[in-house]
Amino acid sequence: MSSPAELRGRGSVDELRRIIRRIEASRPARPAPEPVERVVGGELVDTPAGRLVTVRREFPLAHCHGRMALAHALDASPDVLGLIARSEEAPAEARGLLFLDTETTGLAGGTGTYAFLVGVGYVEGDRFVVVQYFMRDFDEEPALLAALEPLLGRASGLVTFNGSGFDLPLLETRFVLARRRWPAVPGHLDLLRAARRVWAARLADCRLLTLEREVLGLVRDDDVPGALIPALYFDFLRSRRAAPLARIFDHNRADVLSLAGLLGWFTRTLVGSDVSAQPWELAGLGRLWERVDRERSAACYRAALEAGLDGAEARWVRLRLALWEKRLARWDVACALWEAVASAGGFDLHPWEELAKYHEHRRRDYVRARDIVCRALGRAEAGGAPAPALDALGRRLGRLERRLATTVAPG
Amino acid sequence: MLGEILDDLLTSPSTGPCITTFRHFPPRPAVLVPFPSSLDPRVAEALRARGITELYSHQARAWELVDKGEHVVVVTPTASGKTLCYNLPVLQTLLAQPDARVLYLFPTKALAQDQLAELEELARSLPELRMFTYDGDTPQDARRAVRARANLVLTNPDMLHSGILPHHTKWAVLFQNLRFVVIDELHAYRGVFGSHVANVVRRLKRLCRHYGSNPQFVMASATIANPRELAERLTGESVAEVSENGAPRGDKLFLCYNPPVVNAELGIRAPYLGEAARLAVRFLQARIPTIVFAQSRLATEVLLGAIKGGVADRTGDAGIVRGYRGGYLPGRRRAVEQGLRAGDVLGVVSTNALELGVDIGHLDVAVLAGYPGTIASLWQQAGRAGRRAGSSAAVFVATSAPLDQFMVAHPDYLFGTPPEHARVNPDNPFILVNHLKCGAFELPFGGEERLGELDVRRYLAALEDEGVLHQAGGRWHWASETYPADHISLRTVTSDNFLVIDTTARDERQTKRRQIIAEVDWGSAFATIHPKAIYMVESEPYEVQELHYREDEEKVAYVKRVNVDYFTDAISAKGVWILRRLADREHPAYVAEQGEVLVAEKVVGFKKIKLGTLENVGSGEVELPQQEKQTTSAWITLPEEMLSRMSASREELIDGMRAVAYLLHHLAPIFLLCDIRDLGSWLGDTTPAETGAVATRESAKRRLLSAERFQPTIYLYDAHAGGIGLAERVFDVLPLLLRRGLETLQACPCRWGCPSCVGPVNEVGRRAKVTAAALLGELAR
Repeated sequence: MSSPAELRGRGSVDELRRIIRRIEASRPARPAPEPVERVVGGELVDTPAGRLVTVRREFPLAHCHGRMALAHALDASPDVLGLIARSEEAPAEARGLLFLDTETTGLAGGTGTYAFLVGVGYVEGDRFVVVQYFMRDFDEEPALLAALEPLLGRASGLVTFNGSGFDLPLLETRFVLARRRWPAVPGHLDLLRAARRVWAARLADCRLLTLEREVLGLVRDDDVPGALIPALYFDFLRSRRAAPLARIFDHNRADVLSLAGLLGWFTRTLVGSDVSAQPWELAGLGRLWERVDRERSAACYRAALEAGLDGAEARWVRLRLALWEKRLARWDVACALWEAVASAGGFDLHPWEELAKYHEHRRRDYVRARDIVCRALGRAEAGGAPAPALDALGRRLGRLERRLATTVAPG
Repeated sequence: MLGEILDDLLTSPSTGPCITTFRHFPPRPAVLVPFPSSLDPRVAEALRARGITELYSHQARAWELVDKGEHVVVVTPTASGKTLCYNLPVLQTLLAQPDARVLYLFPTKALAQDQLAELEELARSLPELRMFTYDGDTPQDARRAVRARANLVLTNPDMLHSGILPHHTKWAVLFQNLRFVVIDELHAYRGVFGSHVANVVRRLKRLCRHYGSNPQFVMASATIANPRELAERLTGESVAEVSENGAPRGDKLFLCYNPPVVNAELGIRAPYLGEAARLAVRFLQARIPTIVFAQSRLATEVLLGAIKGGVADRTGDAGIVRGYRGGYLPGRRRAVEQGLRAGDVLGVVSTNALELGVDIGHLDVAVLAGYPGTIASLWQQAGRAGRRAGSSAAVFVATSAPLDQFMVAHPDYLFGTPPEHARVNPDNPFILVNHLKCGAFELPFGGEERLGELDVRRYLAALEDEGVLHQAGGRWHWASETYPADHISLRTVTSDNFLVIDTTARDERQTKRRQIIAEVDWGSAFATIHPKAIYMVESEPYEVQELHYREDEEKVAYVKRVNVDYFTDAISAKGVWILRRLADREHPAYVAEQGEVLVAEKVVGFKKIKLGTLENVGSGEVELPQQEKQTTSAWITLPEEMLSRMSASREELIDGMRAVAYLLHHLAPIFLLCDIRDLGSWLGDTTPAETGAVATRESAKRRLLSAERFQPTIYLYDAHAGGIGLAERVFDVLPLLLRRGLETLQACPCRWGCPSCVGPVNEVGRRAKVTAAALLGELAR
């Protein structure tokens, strides 16, 4: 790619003229392009808006993508679909879902970014079909959109990875620009959102590739890095050499299959049929359930602790659980959780304060409350806690001392 | 109170003689007409609710023309109710057509917010109006709501360029139903900014065509010589002009104040800033709300310091006088505006930033410290004092620059001349190419498609060759990962701004923090924030420690707060070389040419100048890279035989020609709506030495002295890369410009030359004035 800076103002008029002269002098004829469809194992298909390179692959539903059979995705019950769809309207059933992933000419968004390759996966009878639509040049975009339109129109819902932030607005822009109606798909499952709730605390990042490796146990061979894809496409536009495109098709197809694989993982673990879930994944599922079902969320948290969750995540889960128990006024359970957090690991003001508040306000046991604050202060000083935490504890201690001076504590 | 002070100024022996002229503008009654019969009764009711029962004649005229479907530009002075000229038809349309959409463009965010407040006031009883600003300050989560709900969107060209047009599909409903585009403060869109905005409008119209709408443009401008031409250049449409003014005016006195001569021999006058500060302090001490306009950011700071000092001496409260200029951060500026409206701030010292219609309430006196560069600005600034009733005054304090001295010496010119021409050049290749990229990003270019009237196929092909466009199916598509509008600023030809960061800033816990105190554009960075430069913010001096300017670095100047009593003035070396001749014209005494030149400049050092006395108190050297640009220029080459006829030595001739260049450069803005800094001047020759080798004044002179063939050439060039249309105009008016130069020289009372005519005598030499007069006598024949 040549830098756009060259024409940005500090270049020269002469340079511009030189380029213009060069172009006007000679425009070399392009070599006959090798057919893309042959390189990528597809065919040219007619659409109402022209011909289009289409690549179709079928997989049996028992096909395992990494550890996960594609069929599991189809078992997703309405409440699991609702959970992942979150606030949006949930798809009614899993068999009509359309799994969608785009490859684009950039990440900038706006009207100048094109989706040059769109891969979709769906169930057809006992097969999972992945179809990829590819425009060999910008003027084939109408055909690509025309091919996509009926699929979008009849899907019961869409499954994407970061589709809300990227793929769907981009496709909508393409449809509007082409003066086509953007088909209203009833539901949308953006797996990135759900994945963030489950894995953000544990994994270095929540990229699809990372999840594939960690969750589906799949490592791609010779995968093309996403950042290179626009440049590869632009190279193709200029050179017409199709061979390097094959890797983009593979990459896109793997992405679509991973969408199904990930949904399968959610389906199995959310209903508890996957016993292999890691403790920290159970904690993540607890986070996911929290918004819709606190009971199931608490159950996941407890399961995570029982499965041996430790470290900072265990402390966090105990605090979430304690909050839930506090709301239900199950004080003994809550206190045990706070005690566990307070006495483990580094200093954290929150459980100490909760304990002190419980004994001071609920039990009116100022002696006990004072003991707790004193222990907390000891830990805080040893742990090098920040000044505001020390101040808060100091103020609380002062107040308790004053209360003790004027009141007789019960029992 | 105001009357007494003015009386005293006119009659006292210390100030009376300095007032070279004054003009009394008697109050003028309004020319009123009844509401037009076609006005929607709901709009009429809303007007009555605000105490408006009739229209000024120009408002009614604008209504008529807009009603006929014409594009309209309204040209009337400050505070003449010009906003109603566009608000009325817009409100009427939005009431009648619930689906219609309207776009308002203002040059700044602050003006859009002001205007929204005014509109909301007016439209209180009209629930059909859903008005929102949409700019860089609009929170991300509110943007969707604005796009969905608004039928009137107030924004600025920058946001339109980078936030709306590139995302036009999200605005499809607006573009499908766009009825009006309102452009206020039209005169602000000139030069570089205007050339960019004309292209943004081209892109806007392109998208409207795509969506099937054809909006009507309604514009408002301050008084300039060519509002209709400017409106037509900016919109690419033919436009009707409304220029009669039916608004009333209060009693107003306009004074011209020329500081007293303190050294007759050298032609030195008392420093104008000190005089302006003294005048402002007199008004402020009497608690008369006063605005002081300074001509540069530096002058703003110097004046602010002096006035704060002067006011604090008596009232003990310097907080009632504030500074205001570009480069201050928005929060600070909003606070000053608010303070002025509320009356907490009594006086403000501002650059032309407050010349625009920012609402700062009612002020009684405007002190113009220095000629603002143009008649148009002069009246805009003077118009800041006094609203529709009551007395007010404006005082123009002349600097010793030739243009100022010309104006105080020729009051007829000052009061009688139509203001200058606003120039734009939408076809500047650098600017155009940038907008072609944005345009292709928004919508592929068709093979035969034009941008405006321009055939752009050559440029598109060049961009394809650069690899950012790709041709398919007979159309050029954007084929790059980047988002072009992000890299293109409408305010400069190039786009890098420098951040000025105070390294001495501490938070309340005395911890260091990165505090940005200002921004400086690329073009002026080397001259204003070179290492060791003193940079002023609200009259507090900061010294530049480091300047990071390399391509791969963040553009930053690190400064520290210092206590010094001087400021710095950069010394630069320069060179100008002809690249291409585009036109020439034979005059009896010389040949004038116009074309493209290469200008190279390098800041090599600086002078330290003491605040107050303006003595030179030291100097330093700096090591900075050379900046080069191609631009357009007009130039005069003086024929050898004419020079040989003159009795002066070669050295005297060089001094004389430099004097002429200085004078022409400083007087050229009489004809152009531009700043002196928008032009550059240089005395070189037509036989360029090794291209790219810059020279200081001294070395350039040595080269001319020893040149085999003596062919000195005076260049007047456009200071902006690629040119914005100034050089062409200079070329056209050269004979007039030379004549004005001769007049100015003859009228100047100094003996040897002074800053008011040919430049200070110690810089131009003792014989410069007389040689320059002889040269101009020949040239202006």
